[in-house]
Amino acid sequence: MPKKGTFRASRRNVLKGVGMATIGASLPPVGSAMAQSAPAASAAPKGPKLLEMDGKAKLAVLGDRPLVAETQAELMDDDVTPTAKLFVRNNGGVPDITGDPKAWKIKIDGEVNTPLEISVGEMMSRFPSVTYQLTLECGGNGRSFFSPEARGNQWTNGGVGCPQWTGIRLADVLKAAGLKPSAAFTGHYGADPTLAGETDKPTISRGMPIAKAMDEHTLIAFKLNGQDMPLIHGAPARLVVPGWAGSLSTKWLKRIWVRDKEHDGPGMGGFSYRVPKKPIVPGSKGDEKDTAILEAMPVRSVITFPADGTKLTSRKLDLRGQAWSGEGDIKSVDISTDYGVTWKTAKVNAPANKFAWQRFTASVDLPSPGYYEVWAKATDAKGVTQPFTAANWNPQGYGANPINRIRVLVES
Amino acid sequence: MSLNITHAVVVTLTATFLLLAADRAGELRKNQPAYVPPAKPAVAAAPAVDPDKGKPPVHNDTVDDLPESKGREITFYTCTACHGVALIKAQGMSRELWDQSFDLMLTRHRMPPVKPEERVEILDYLTEQFPPRRRQRGGDNPFLK
Repeated sequence: MPKKGTFRASRRNVLKGVGMATIGASLPPVGSAMAQSAPAASAAPKGPKLLEMDGKAKLAVLGDRPLVAETQAELMDDDVTPTAKLFVRNNGGVPDITGDPKAWKIKIDGEVNTPLEISVGEMMSRFPSVTYQLTLECGGNGRSFFSPEARGNQWTNGGVGCPQWTGIRLADVLKAAGLKPSAAFTGHYGADPTLAGETDKPTISRGMPIAKAMDEHTLIAFKLNGQDMPLIHGAPARLVVPGWAGSLSTKWLKRIWVRDKEHDGPGMGGFSYRVPKKPIVPGSKGDEKDTAILEAMPVRSVITFPADGTKLTSRKLDLRGQAWSGEGDIKSVDISTDYGVTWKTAKVNAPANKFAWQRFTASVDLPSPGYYEVWAKATDAKGVTQPFTAANWNPQGYGANPINRIRVLVES
Repeated sequence: MSLNITHAVVVTLTATFLLLAADRAGELRKNQPAYVPPAKPAVAAAPAVDPDKGKPPVHNDTVDDLPESKGREITFYTCTACHGVALIKAQGMSRELWDQSFDLMLTRHRMPPVKPEERVEILDYLTEQFPPRRRQRGGDNPFLK
């Protein structure tokens, strides 16, 4: 039995040592409960472990093996997410990638007339370069708001970012390969080794209907915010499938298998990235056969200023945040400072392009000193808004998008 | 007289042990591998291409990162063969859902098979140490058996 523990003494571990520090005093997550209680003052709040990694901000670490780290709400305050503040979600390890990034090759095969094996350099010279600001969001974002708890990484709202991606349209590559009439679905493969260290088996392999693959905003990206993409974010090449579960946006992209039916790779079955067709009893096992694939992410808003737990010296509060939906069509954001009794319409900016998140701002007057919750609720073009509490519980916790709330104290 | 012999044996044995213990170069134990002092912490030149460049920091979990209780060791070594302790501690679930997690690890994540009795021990541990914690809503649902 103890021999299994020897992985902890590998050469790299010894040389690199422990790279994460625990720093307290971060904000407790705003939970799913709508109770008015403030966080317990007595029990010293044990903040999340903060990421210590070159080129990355001190994101909140949800897991270190595999590395999963979310962006705190107050770090989501930039219109364009800086690379350092972009969340990190890995399913397996990070591959060893050396050599010329332009020589990195991607295979396109399956239901195509001409299977391709094409290098990054060839793609760059052969197809038009495009740059969009695109929202990338983990499928499990908001999971921690479910009650009872759902399985998996306990994201608050920070499994999301909206940086600028530069690459080529996936559609251009698929057209070059020539889609057969039978082409129905994609299957994506990255180079990340499994957690057990295997490199010959996919860690995860998800796919999407051809229509989403052909969307002009679905990219094979090479650059992030105008710079070379860091390894941790998928260099030399990754997919960016905006608005849909982030697991489709395969990092270290090696292959796209065009299928004649729904893809069945790891991460497509069971309850993985699937939601129940009929509502199930929260906390129950559910029936995985009665589920549908999670596609576009739900509508969501996050107040990015002020931070949760801020003490205010003025009763006038100028707040701001980001709102987005999987279809990229936020129409309005409403703000309440009285638990939803009354609402005030925020100003919402147009997106930089489709699938970019949208800035909202509002100015509210708090009637007296004391404790307040500030709530934000976004609504999309179809009139679909955020529920008061995480709805449609499912064992692996997808689709939790309750109204966002922060707690503030107006000091007298 | 017998006391003196005993005394001499003790002294001789003690001296031998001390000599052997101090014999780090192994000169008195020719068939043993010689002691090699640990290398100085790497100030050596970095390799031309560092395969770890840009990778996440390494993190070392230990068994003490899990709460002490029966089943802690087997739970630690079984689960952390693949993933960190943080993922376990992040969630609290019913036995039924922990059991479902076990199946997920076996089927989706190709966890090596576990003996039935070990599975029971691990499930006992997880159920006891990491039960559902959010009771504000849903934790006492009347429709849960």
